[in-house]
Amino acid sequence: MRKLTVLAVALAQLFVLETRGDPTIGGTTVGNALNPGGVNPQTSGAWMDPDGMGTRAPAARSPAGPPYLIPLDPGDTDLKKGAGWINQGFVELGLTHTYGADTNAGFRNYKDIPSGAYVDSFGFMGNKPDEARYYEATGGALGMDDQFYRVQFGRYNDWKVTAFYDSVPRVYTSNYRSLWFGTGTNTLTLSTLTPGGTTSAAATQANILDALSKTPDSDLETIRKTAGVRVDKKLTDTWSLYASVTDQAKKGTQPFGAVFGGAGGGGDIDVPQSIDYSTYDFLAGASFADALSSFNVKMTASFFRNNIDTMTFQNPLYVTLNGTSGLSPASFTTGRFDLAPNNEAYNLRGEYARSFPDFYRGKLTATVAIGTMRQNDALIPPSEFPLTGGLVTPGNVPLANQWNTTSALSRQSAEARIDTLLADLGLVVKPAKDLDVRGKVRFYETKNDLSYQSCNPLTGQWGRILNDGSGTSLVMASTLAGANPSGTSANAFNAAGCNLAAVLAMNLAPSVGNVPIASVPYDYRQLTSTLSADYRVGRAQTLTGTLERESYWRDDRERDQTWDDKVKLAFVDRGTLDGSIRIGYEYDNRSGSAYTSNPYSSFYSMSFGPVPAVATQNMASWIHAADQFRSADIADRTQNIANARVDYSFSENLDGAMSLQHKDTFYPSQLGLSGRQKNDAINFDLNYQAGPNAVVFGYYSYSQGNIDQKGVQPNSCTVGSTYYFFSNGAVASAVTGAAPPAAPAGTTLVGTQNVATGNWNSVCTGMSAASPMFPDSRGWDVASKDRNNVFGAGVKYDFGKVKLDTDFTRVLGRTSIDYSYNAAALGLTALQAGLAGSGLPDLTFAQSIFNANLLVPLNKTLLMRFMVRYESGKVRDWHYEGVAANPMPANNTAFLDAGPTDYRVTTVGVLFQLRM
Amino acid sequence: MRWLGPLAALAMGLFASLAAAAIPPEATYVGEKTCIRCHDTEAKHFGATQHARAFRENPRNPVEARVCEACHGPGSLHVQKENHKNREYLVGFTREWGTPIEEQNAVCMGCHKGGERLHWDGSPHENSKLACSDCHNAMARFSATGLLRSASISETCETCHAKERADFHKRSHMPVPEGKMSCTDCHGPHGSATRALLRGDTVNDTCYACHAEKRGPYLWEHAPVRENCLNCHQAHGSNHEAMLVAARPYLCQQCHSSPAAHAGQSFRGDQTAQSQLQGGTSNPRMIGRSCQNCHSQIHGSNNPSGARFQR
Repeated sequence: MRKLTVLAVALAQLFVLETRGDPTIGGTTVGNALNPGGVNPQTSGAWMDPDGMGTRAPAARSPAGPPYLIPLDPGDTDLKKGAGWINQGFVELGLTHTYGADTNAGFRNYKDIPSGAYVDSFGFMGNKPDEARYYEATGGALGMDDQFYRVQFGRYNDWKVTAFYDSVPRVYTSNYRSLWFGTGTNTLTLSTLTPGGTTSAAATQANILDALSKTPDSDLETIRKTAGVRVDKKLTDTWSLYASVTDQAKKGTQPFGAVFGGAGGGGDIDVPQSIDYSTYDFLAGASFADALSSFNVKMTASFFRNNIDTMTFQNPLYVTLNGTSGLSPASFTTGRFDLAPNNEAYNLRGEYARSFPDFYRGKLTATVAIGTMRQNDALIPPSEFPLTGGLVTPGNVPLANQWNTTSALSRQSAEARIDTLLADLGLVVKPAKDLDVRGKVRFYETKNDLSYQSCNPLTGQWGRILNDGSGTSLVMASTLAGANPSGTSANAFNAAGCNLAAVLAMNLAPSVGNVPIASVPYDYRQLTSTLSADYRVGRAQTLTGTLERESYWRDDRERDQTWDDKVKLAFVDRGTLDGSIRIGYEYDNRSGSAYTSNPYSSFYSMSFGPVPAVATQNMASWIHAADQFRSADIADRTQNIANARVDYSFSENLDGAMSLQHKDTFYPSQLGLSGRQKNDAINFDLNYQAGPNAVVFGYYSYSQGNIDQKGVQPNSCTVGSTYYFFSNGAVASAVTGAAPPAAPAGTTLVGTQNVATGNWNSVCTGMSAASPMFPDSRGWDVASKDRNNVFGAGVKYDFGKVKLDTDFTRVLGRTSIDYSYNAAALGLTALQAGLAGSGLPDLTFAQSIFNANLLVPLNKTLLMRFMVRYESGKVRDWHYEGVAANPMPANNTAFLDAGPTDYRVTTVGVLFQLRM
Repeated sequence: MRWLGPLAALAMGLFASLAAAAIPPEATYVGEKTCIRCHDTEAKHFGATQHARAFRENPRNPVEARVCEACHGPGSLHVQKENHKNREYLVGFTREWGTPIEEQNAVCMGCHKGGERLHWDGSPHENSKLACSDCHNAMARFSATGLLRSASISETCETCHAKERADFHKRSHMPVPEGKMSCTDCHGPHGSATRALLRGDTVNDTCYACHAEKRGPYLWEHAPVRENCLNCHQAHGSNHEAMLVAARPYLCQQCHSSPAAHAGQSFRGDQTAQSQLQGGTSNPRMIGRSCQNCHSQIHGSNNPSGARFQR
């Protein structure tokens, strides 16, 4: 495998210039924000042809109705055989000036707008008609972060080679205050602060705040560079071959976070993740097609390499430890991440299609693809620290030198592998002149072989230390009276070593139920069966009906099986109106087998032995979720989906379109996604092509959606306690038989519930008025509503010697989040309830982009372009409100990313396009 | 009563014949030069296309050597003056000409069969009765590549997919408006064995093409991540960071409600950094990256201590 990898890397470097690539981004379009469609070397800088396309003026319409554009004047395209190479091309360059908040992340994301000398684009093409040879080279934004290049050469109808290079910046934030040197590398060193903090969390907080006050804002940004080469060869009229290699590199930093301690966090901080990825993709295939049959075979191999396998950062926080004694918080001077591991994926796909003209004009299509995803990265020790003097609590097992080597692991490398299989079979027959019938069966499965046990062979301890050893999550035997035989040690399980059978044979109750002891090998199988019929009710009208069932079988999920039953109806009319009408409706009902709230018990400590349902034991860790909770991805739901689109030509010059989408989804779940969720959209388009001297277009889109979900803030479920429910929703508890707690002022007692060994499983696992764990009064619901408006317009106008090309886009997005809850039940103070109110400030986004280009042809080969580009953006996001002023809301928590801010940026420029 | 007009037209249209039948068999080929005598403007634009150059300079077979008539059919009947506008004597690829789309597409598929088109029959675009020439225009070079109807792949798709065009302008989106990605990076418009015309075997397979680091498999996996990226992310654009389908922590709470942890405790506005300045009690799940402040390896962890995706 290693040899293969080395060969792959070597091949990649042979083909690819100095940069990296991937098969997708940059592969199908090579352009940037100033050249979003790429560069057309034939017509770049040209204006609409006064003659249009000839017989149809200003332009013909496509079969569905929308008109084609008025073509740009391509210049001289006469065939000149015998003339040798015929070359042409252009380069456009000039000066630009950008001013305003041009360092803002919102402005710079995915683009690099220039200020100064700038090569906007170039395109060269050549043709040697006698030999049918050609080349074409295009590109733009030379030296910028969003530069792009594409070269293709070959012989028409014979072979071609295509290569591309593309770069795209991803700017996450420009308001990040970094405390480290070395961001973007595998080691982050604090620039001024003391690793591990100083004498206390409070003193450390003061030091960090002081450092932040002196730290300027900076970027978290990655740049993705992609390059690829592809060769296509037509062997015969029926056979063709192709092969490609692409190389992608992504480098920089992106938002990330680190936590210390355990039990909800003993300190967390926005540490930036260092990114240095390389992905090499190889593709080879062959295609065959004759009058009756088609055949494709394709092989892909993908190698992901993370050049920063682990990232170590110095920790500025004075953290709170959890589950240990004898260790100093200040000793946790660093933290270490095991970042995305190197991985490989292979896929072999065969596709076959055969027409049967004599069998109801049928066509059979079959696809089989087998794939595998693998990674076998060397695992790292749970901690870099010796943890000398530390003891696990309870049990007092020494930590020293037990967790800082890979001997502490049940295996040395990941040995992770998922194999996939896709099989797809389709048959289309036409049993009557106007009737098509289609059947399709699709099967897909993933097989996950992973089985990793979280156990330390050095100590026999199951579970793991957390976050470099600043916390622990280890399986202890319960020492509560009556849970286990008298005298059972908290460390009893350790004696069995990492022998699971021996552990189970002990039949001892663990102290908590939710310590992970093994990874869950998620996999699934999917079977989709579809039967569809098209009936032509008129020459240009078709009615389609479809029945579909999609079944999933999932291992280790709350439901073993789910199935979606769908009924679809569609009507297409391409001939009645001066345009076309498309209407579709779909009904979808998802249901499934019995829902098990906790299918994961065998992967947690609760599987080690009996439940210690004895006095004072809180049973929360034995309950994975409330009985009524339904995980969104596998919950029952019904959907009604309707789509409609009308294209209409008002006149030869003016056409419009309107489309509607409506989706209504109902979740019967009482907790989780619940109730009716809606998504609606309406879109209008108008396009006026007066002629080659004037074109106007405009569009408007409105969409809205809502998500309703319900949750419950858990309480507790302690055996031997009595829970008291008061009229205001408050819940209190006391040891059963002891004096009841005092009722809150102004309330009355409305109910009680004892939790005992024999009933905890029936009274605590569901949400109800008298549930100690999930009382109705602690329930909450959240309603999120998205609304979006997008307006776009553009004008092209020929003033004679000067031509104007301009467009404008305005975007408004808003998400409102409202909630309801019982403040008294949750024990909120008046101040907290006042601040909470009934919702959060709206999340809003507003953006305007205006482009204007004034084209001034100076002569036949020189074009001058004045450009103006204006962009403004405004984001309001409550996640980040107050972070700049309050980066440390707790003394061991630091938020360094202040989030998005407003910007306005204007770019002006004068560019000259020289045609050759 | 204005609605009566379109309604009547609709009723009539069900039985009307828009288009011509196949070209009569007695028609013969007349050659490109004959066509150009009248269609010099078309010839100028067509001359810039890859079709023209391949057909003229290195035809693969006798059909291609006919250039114009390779696609439009034999023109002898059409060139007779009285027949110029007789739509039965030529295959046309515009709405005005009216050749049935099945006949139009059959002409294109005569050469472009196989490859991705292997899945064309029964694909969503075929079911929607689209003609090849609804997306392509072989008569002029409108686009940098692909002989599309518009200047780019995305503009071509957005001719019909207006909602997706709007999605690409939302707060977080794929870099389509910025010219760094096109619809066909993820979708195969000519057909696919995967729903939504995806290029990969699955949604995730498609996403891994650019996000190979998410592919793993990881030592500790996150169930919805392994099965479908769209459980948490919008494909085209979103009002939320990272193209998430909902604001965090609510997104996480669509699946997580464990009583032994903190999933159900974070949902209120008194828990933000802003509120803490005013006396509230901050909760990191309501600030910044929310749950991912701590569970930062949410796509999976390869750290032996990463069962909760913290390292």
